[in-house]
Amino acid sequence: MSESAIITTQDLNLWYGGKHALQSVSMHIPKNRVTALIGPSGCGKSTLLRCFNRLNDLIDHVKITGEITLDDENIHDRKTDVVSLRKRVGMVFQKPNPFPKSIYDNIAFGPRVHGVRNKTDLDRIVEESLKRAALWDEVKDRLHDPALALSGGQQQRLCIARTLAVEPEVILMDEPCSALDPIATAKIENLIDMLKEDYTVIIVTHNMQQAARVSDYTGFMYLGKLIECGKTVQIFEHPKEELTENYITGRFG
Amino acid sequence: MKSVPEKQQDRTATAGSARQIRLREQLTKAVFFCTASFAVIVVAFILLFLLRDGYPIFAAEGILPFLLGPSWAPTAVEPQYGIFPLIAGTLLVTLGAMVFAVPLSIGCAIYIAELASPRVKSILKPAIELLAGIPSVVYGFFGLIVLTNFIRVTFDLPSGETWLAASVLLGIMALPTIISVSEDAITAVPREYREGSLAIGATRWQTISQVIVPAALSGIAAAIILGIGRAVGETMAVLMVAGNAAIIPEPIWNILSPVRTLTGTLGIEMGEVAVGSDHYSALFGVAVVLLVITLIINLSAVAILRHLHEGRTARPGKKPLIPSHISDGIITIVKAAFLVLLLILLLAATPWYVAVLIITLAGAWYYGRDRLSRGQIETISFGLIVASAIIVLAILIIILQDIIINGLPALSWEFLTQPPRDLGREGGIFPAIVGTLYLVTGAILIALPLGVGAAIYLVEYTREGRITRIIRTGVDLLNGTPSIVFGLFGFAFIVLYLNAGVSMIAGQITLALMVLPTIIRTTEESLKSIPQSLREGSLALGATQWQTISQVVIPPAVPGIVTGAILSIGRAAGETAPIMFTAVVFSQRFLPDSVYDPVMALPYHLFILATNVPGSATNKYGTALVLLLLVVGFYAVAILIRTHFQKKIRG
Repeated sequence: MSESAIITTQDLNLWYGGKHALQSVSMHIPKNRVTALIGPSGCGKSTLLRCFNRLNDLIDHVKITGEITLDDENIHDRKTDVVSLRKRVGMVFQKPNPFPKSIYDNIAFGPRVHGVRNKTDLDRIVEESLKRAALWDEVKDRLHDPALALSGGQQQRLCIARTLAVEPEVILMDEPCSALDPIATAKIENLIDMLKEDYTVIIVTHNMQQAARVSDYTGFMYLGKLIECGKTVQIFEHPKEELTENYITGRFG
Repeated sequence: MKSVPEKQQDRTATAGSARQIRLREQLTKAVFFCTASFAVIVVAFILLFLLRDGYPIFAAEGILPFLLGPSWAPTAVEPQYGIFPLIAGTLLVTLGAMVFAVPLSIGCAIYIAELASPRVKSILKPAIELLAGIPSVVYGFFGLIVLTNFIRVTFDLPSGETWLAASVLLGIMALPTIISVSEDAITAVPREYREGSLAIGATRWQTISQVIVPAALSGIAAAIILGIGRAVGETMAVLMVAGNAAIIPEPIWNILSPVRTLTGTLGIEMGEVAVGSDHYSALFGVAVVLLVITLIINLSAVAILRHLHEGRTARPGKKPLIPSHISDGIITIVKAAFLVLLLILLLAATPWYVAVLIITLAGAWYYGRDRLSRGQIETISFGLIVASAIIVLAILIIILQDIIINGLPALSWEFLTQPPRDLGREGGIFPAIVGTLYLVTGAILIALPLGVGAAIYLVEYTREGRITRIIRTGVDLLNGTPSIVFGLFGFAFIVLYLNAGVSMIAGQITLALMVLPTIIRTTEESLKSIPQSLREGSLALGATQWQTISQVVIPPAVPGIVTGAILSIGRAAGETAPIMFTAVVFSQRFLPDSVYDPVMALPYHLFILATNVPGSATNKYGTALVLLLLVVGFYAVAILIRTHFQKKIRG
């Protein structure tokens, strides 16, 4: 791959109890690009995503072998601090999950836990994050309303803003639009396009049109294996593997 | 093959019986409605009889002088009936109990819900259920022998029966309530909050303290309120260790002063009062005040929990019960309250070095907080949380080992099969064991049909509406009524008004009323856990409602109902206050001949041995151990049944 990789996995295997959920996955995630992971349900794309910020640590009976490096550091190294890893690798979830706090406090939560106390700094971070998440104009007059009062699409952009507020390098998105209507989806997709200037985005989606629209690179996964990975244009127009072609042309999945 | 006319006859026969069936269905429904209304009727009767017997004192003294009068001296030459010192005593003891119990319980709940491994959890949770199962008279006994002695020696006092002792003991007794309800609230916080916070790079402690606990705040608040209700309504334990001087501590933060609570007053004086006198009426006035206080406390907790439950089923987008600016306010108030308590502790700390220690620790925390790294703060916080779980476990072990080690030598064949001699110093406790078994058997025989019937009506026969709300409120009120109030009601209504005398049947009915809410609740839960599809399947086959209930719904719900019944038996077996004035005598050589005879009972026997009979150490501990084993045995059976059937359902 010509572009410089920010995340690399080497022979990554993962078991949930007896289930071999990821099988020998090796891939590069290029910096400042959008990489989409596609594949049928249960193929392991979300599992792979949750490896990048070690959120799988929360689940019992998970066993992982192989290597994942972020900027050449092994994230499973004993010395790796999970907390600072997660600061560098942010995540947006499938269902919007704002905390039951005000809009302001949701955004300020991250900076606060990372030690920002100064009120002016916090105000500035909140405003910038909301602007970058294209939510500022809609909420600037009611920053202290409860976040749960926002619409689903607004909540998801709030969650993106919350992620941006801790200034990550990589943003993981786990089917961020699956709970949203088409208009809200379009807004998030525009946002993703803007975000890649400053961030590396990895997005899991089951919607192939979305992958084609937003991503520069695409990885196709099937039954825990990474079948094919490359430039999105190439994957969608000239797939090398028959499985990929079958999936993209809608013959299964 | 049937011929055609026969077939027609058949049809008319079913048509004829269809009317009968409908009638039978309506009758069944009416019967269940009666059982369900029973709880409401009982509450009304309790209020009615307490007010009836308490009214003369309100009329004679006036409500305000009665409530605010500074002196309680009912047996003085010129009797004075001011219950202000008693109200103050109740509030102070409860406040102290919460200062002790709230931090420990919340720490322990966080530990169980967030930090403990499944193995540790499987030890801690039954341990806390065990703590909840110890009868209050056994707590009182432990407090009287061990705790007050410890306080007497430590602070060099003439007697250790103090506000401090009562608060610590009540705090211990409130622990299981607060822990289990808060743990439920913490566990119910959606997983997405946890993941969202961790994904931002918050530490586990930051996630717990800033996301999870605030999200569980209403549930934790309800837990604390329930704990307060438990503490306010407790009689036996507090009366055994509080010293019972009807005074307001001087100065007000002197935790080493004796105090007297509302419940304690009833427990001490009710047995010796002349029926119909001013004093008698004043005691019922005290009971009315006590009932009102506990009902307000319990209903507010129930309201919070019910709102939470509704909110959980109708997420998301629903506004939280406590808006964030108010919950921030609550947190500020709690912080301020802790500062004030710290101050009180400082003033109360007699040895000066304790005060210095407290100041140093508080100062170190205040100045060091910002200099510590997140990791260090997390380590300290987790250390404190683990410590609170260890302390709770240690309390249980200390109580159990004291009673087991000292009680075992008393256990012998003779002790279990002989009547007591020499005021219980010698001989055994056979009549008390049998009496307790008689009492709980009778209570469960009365309460089970009523409770199960009420639950069937609530779950199967009605939709949620005004009637169910009234009945549920009645059940909640009954559940929050202190056991001593049941005792007073049993005395006024069954013993005197119905003229049953101090008798086994009076005790059985009183205990039955007390355990009724537990039975209704557990039966309701197990009926609700039966999937709706089973009912629909049965009704679609043309079964009547009663056939569906009796043949499809109830059979799989039986384990749950039995569990509830056994839990109630355990609770009834350990209770003293409800039977103290209605059913028991201290010494009886023979077993009762009929239900109209009084009986002996283990908890009362232990109470009298512990408080009125000096020099019977071995038999005291033996009685305590037998009572403990009996109650814990019932609980163990109930838990075994529950887990057995849970496994069976999972397959």
